[in-house]
Amino acid sequence: MSWLDVAWVALAASSATLGLLNLYIWLSRRSELAHLLFFAMTGAIAAVAAFELDMMHAATAAQYAEALRWAHVPLALAVMAMVGFVRSYFRAGRLWLAMAVCIVRAVVVVLDLTTGENINFAHIATIERVVLPGGAGFAVPAGTLNPWWTLAQLGNALLLAFLVDASITLWRRGDAVARRRSWLVGGGLVFCVLCVLALALGTFFGGLRLPTVVAPSFLAVALAMGTELGADTLRAAQLSRDLRDSKHLSELSAQVAQLALWSWDAATSQFWMNSIARGLFGLPDQPPRSLGEFLERIDVEDRGGVSAAIAATLSRGGSADLEFRVTQSPTRWIATRIEAEVQYARVRGISMDISDRRRVTRELMQKREELTHLSRVAALGELAGSLAHEINQPLMAILSNAQAAQRFMAAPDPALDDVRAAIADIVEDDRRAGAVIQRLRAMLRKGEIQHAPLDINDVVTEVLRLMRSELTSRGVVVGTELAPVLAPLLGDRIQLQQVLVNLVMNACDAMQDSTDNRRLDVRTRATHEGVEVSIGDSGRGIPATDLERIFEPFVTGKEHGLGLGLSVCRTIVNAHGGRLWADGGATAGATLRFVLPQGARA
Amino acid sequence: MSTPQPVVHAVDDDPSVLRGLERLLRSAGYTPRVYSSAEAFFAEHDPEVLGCLILDLAMPGCDGMQLQQRLVDSGSVLPVIFLTGRGDVPTTVRAMKNGAVDFHTKPVDDHELLAAVERAIERCRQDQQQRRVRADCVARLAGLTAREREVFQHLLAGMRNKQIAAALGTVEKTVKVHRARIMEKTRASSLAELVQLAERAKSTGKA
Repeated sequence: MSWLDVAWVALAASSATLGLLNLYIWLSRRSELAHLLFFAMTGAIAAVAAFELDMMHAATAAQYAEALRWAHVPLALAVMAMVGFVRSYFRAGRLWLAMAVCIVRAVVVVLDLTTGENINFAHIATIERVVLPGGAGFAVPAGTLNPWWTLAQLGNALLLAFLVDASITLWRRGDAVARRRSWLVGGGLVFCVLCVLALALGTFFGGLRLPTVVAPSFLAVALAMGTELGADTLRAAQLSRDLRDSKHLSELSAQVAQLALWSWDAATSQFWMNSIARGLFGLPDQPPRSLGEFLERIDVEDRGGVSAAIAATLSRGGSADLEFRVTQSPTRWIATRIEAEVQYARVRGISMDISDRRRVTRELMQKREELTHLSRVAALGELAGSLAHEINQPLMAILSNAQAAQRFMAAPDPALDDVRAAIADIVEDDRRAGAVIQRLRAMLRKGEIQHAPLDINDVVTEVLRLMRSELTSRGVVVGTELAPVLAPLLGDRIQLQQVLVNLVMNACDAMQDSTDNRRLDVRTRATHEGVEVSIGDSGRGIPATDLERIFEPFVTGKEHGLGLGLSVCRTIVNAHGGRLWADGGATAGATLRFVLPQGARA
Repeated sequence: MSTPQPVVHAVDDDPSVLRGLERLLRSAGYTPRVYSSAEAFFAEHDPEVLGCLILDLAMPGCDGMQLQQRLVDSGSVLPVIFLTGRGDVPTTVRAMKNGAVDFHTKPVDDHELLAAVERAIERCRQDQQQRRVRADCVARLAGLTAREREVFQHLLAGMRNKQIAAALGTVEKTVKVHRARIMEKTRASSLAELVQLAERAKSTGKA
């Protein structure tokens, strides 16, 4: 064996070893196609090396031609794998160039097998043995060229163009890794292809006496690539150590914070859960075996929503926050954030028991609603006298009309026109009394908050109608200035009425001591924030230091009253996404304003 | 003297209450006049016409109590029946002190209201009668000279002619002449009648 033989055998063996190594890696990580392509490339290079060895040792022209012919098959494979590798691993190179390279290469193989003795030679007439120093010898062919030979060169040129383009793309990406890869791989590839090209051209036209060195050139490229792949593999090992650490840490923090961690692999339908998650979902022994089993743990009312959310994040990626109940006794509320990795078909979840928080929140809301209701009832209680008057007026009219009608009818010649008119008035007044009671009942009702589109002017008008008698009896003159067209806003009519009743009552109380000129100004207007309502009085005003204090609970300037009215008003307005504040009037006349955003909601 | 048809006035800011009252009063045979505000009432009010006033207590602007005060200040004897939707005791007391004849809480039954109207008209009639008598007395006394008035005062004090003459520094005969003139001018037939006349003329018109 000459040193040339040893070199080529070693080359083939190392190439094959590298290939097998990557095949092994690919088998455990099917998604990383680069390893498979690398295996194909290095495997093919090993085969090319074998054929080259055969060519060197060819005894006859026919043997040489046969070996060269078959060498083109693995060579085509190596080229295609290389193109695939560049595209899949570096995500560079134009698709159409890649396709062109592969198609031309495939055509070359077909022509290689069908025309002439191989794609290079139509006929090899003789072979000449060249002997190098050290006793190594190899065969050099001579004969007529295959006319399709140029197509093979076109293929090489296309490959070169593809690689140059890919390298430029990598370079332009700009980050350090991409630039290094551009140099290492792109540059190396280009260099080697140039070598092969020059060698081929030299051999056929310049009468260079060298063995074919396609396999060593390709191997050089493969090694360059292998360096990158190997670095990645090393990084993966480091990452796996880091991952173990971080997994340990996350488990520790999950235990401390009582967080339930779980994940689901949609491809294998496998669940992983930490112990807290198993406890939370009521599966103490093992995680669920399927998504169905997992969903069974969720309350039937929430199951559909959770299932849909998982499906949605799995198809679109991203994350979603869910709140649902689990079928435990007693029912537990769980808050969960799920996050999906679409490419790995995995869903991860962090869950937390929020039953206590929910209960406290609900109790708080209930208390607030009760307080709001009580404050409303209290406000109406202060209005009781006036409200009785509002009902007594129509009742008085009804009674007078009815008794007048009786008297008219008792006359020998009844005035039927008068009777008819009286009855019509009775009907009208009865409706009026009914409407007052209806409004009162609505205000006193302890109902759910209902947000509906409403015109604030309607609410203002209705409240002033309800309080008309109170305002009259207190000698208050009301001036209204309502913006003609206001955008509808979303709110609870009753609660907003409550705010207005409170503000108007406060204004009246503030004017209690004024002997004359008790004036109430109610205005609505559109502002950039939404709709503003202002209630101005001509009373004693509010000192600047108290402008904010009056909204605190149990702060009151009245002898009777809890001092909850304004505090509740502010809570209501805030719940509508608006603001309530008091304006100026240090010595005389205060104005309270509130703004509600258009389309406000709680 | 003719007996004029009494007019029942009603003031209320609520038009439907006003319509009901108007109809009820008409069905009971009265002549109602209704007004939606104090101003409208004063614009048409004739204090000489016999009648009464049904008045709503709570009204915007000039309320019932202020209207009543204005009536009293103008010397009117028109009796007031108050109606209220929210009768509280202090207001009632104030209204009654100010001379209201009745105070009712809405809704009020027709019998009660019409009885009150009847009482009020009767009272108005009496007041107007009294007023006429007084006016007559005042007119009769108005013809006396200053000297005769002095003699008249002493007569009312129960002094005899002699005593009067002494008090005025004159003779009894002169006093007798003055006395005859007084009896003639006041058309009184006796001293007792003269005393009654003086009493009537002094009274303020209130019962």
